[in-house]
Amino acid sequence: MAKIEMQDLIGQGLDRAVEMMALAAHNSFRFGKKNTLQMIAVGNEELEEIAEFCFSLGDMSPLAARDGRFVMELIKEPCSLLILGDKRKSVFNYNCGACGFRTCAEMNAAEEMESLTANGPSCQFRNLNLNIAADAAAAMAWRLGLHCRVFSTLGFAAKAMEVIEDCDLVVSVSVSAAKEDPYFDRHKFWTKEHWDEIFDKEFPTFNRGFIGAIED
Amino acid sequence: MSMERPLKQYEQDRQEAVRIASRLLLASGTTSPRVGGVGECTFHTIDDECDVEDLCQKIESMAGENKGWKFFTRDAAILRDADAVILITSLRSLTDPSDINCNMCGKLTCEYLREEEKLPKEPGVAFTGPLCIFRANNIAYALDGVVSAARNLGIDYGVYWSAGAAAMRMGILPKDTGFALGIGISITEKSPFRDIPLKFAEINQRTMNDRIIQRLWPQFRSIYS
Repeated sequence: MAKIEMQDLIGQGLDRAVEMMALAAHNSFRFGKKNTLQMIAVGNEELEEIAEFCFSLGDMSPLAARDGRFVMELIKEPCSLLILGDKRKSVFNYNCGACGFRTCAEMNAAEEMESLTANGPSCQFRNLNLNIAADAAAAMAWRLGLHCRVFSTLGFAAKAMEVIEDCDLVVSVSVSAAKEDPYFDRHKFWTKEHWDEIFDKEFPTFNRGFIGAIED
Repeated sequence: MSMERPLKQYEQDRQEAVRIASRLLLASGTTSPRVGGVGECTFHTIDDECDVEDLCQKIESMAGENKGWKFFTRDAAILRDADAVILITSLRSLTDPSDINCNMCGKLTCEYLREEEKLPKEPGVAFTGPLCIFRANNIAYALDGVVSAARNLGIDYGVYWSAGAAAMRMGILPKDTGFALGIGISITEKSPFRDIPLKFAEINQRTMNDRIIQRLWPQFRSIYS
């Protein structure tokens, strides 16, 4: 038997795993009869672009900036991003009212609001379908033993950059085959000084004896 | 212990399995992801058959309110065969937008969404939107947490949003609930959630029993006795 190097094994395994996740997402339970979901997987090059875009949003959204910085670290080890998208208009005719319109017809006829992150107003059940698929993909990744996290920020960036086209609502599932779980307890992105400063600002009463005084 | 096991024991064990399963599904749903890692979903199990019947009657009574809700009678007929109903709620989507200005609701910023007037609570309106859709997406994660656990455990399930809407109307869910869904679970040999024929609300095992046995048997008995 031919020898296959570990790096190739991991890389190819990850490719198969993303295929399995896409399949699980595709066949997950969803409302309605039609499957309108769109899915793509992207590798390191697109991820790097998405990360730079996220990082550039730093002034507007610290959350996006953090995720951008994080992805730059993430792509040093084998990883992939599954991006799921869907259109916003209702195809169900449930008339449930969750979108703020009495009927689906009114919602579909309402003026479209475009923005970088998502186009609204959107059907609640379309959103549920999209996120159920994302969760099914995440559940498959979990079963396969991959590190995994669902990112809205990277999905928003993918929509804004039109990495995934013709979608109004986007969410993404990131998976990694790193040696340690890179997705949680990401302390290395904050220095102790920065953390202390933010904590004092957000919870001023914690370190202060007399809470009546107001500074600055 | 060489005694023959009674069938009643099997029935009791089956019902206990339903109670245990609904807790396990709750566990999986609770630990599924939440947007921003902020918890807001609650799970409520209805495993008493009288309570399930109350819920089904409410679902049936709502069917006429909106012409898009004709399938509610079918949902009620299906859920009558369920052993338990798990209701999933989203507590923050109505009153507490997530402040990330994602525009999924179409209002551009969360401030505009807060100012927006909600739909009134009246017949024909299931959920008083506009809701914070980003928050309500947690329902999708919770739902798939329950569904994937049910698939792993080999428990039959069916998802019915009519049950959530009816439960909100009945006032049995927390008062800030903005969006709710019901998942029927069943531990029986035939899944009651699959193979639903046409006109199931009118023609199902219950109505067939009522019509054929209840109507024919008394006559049969008086004639042939």
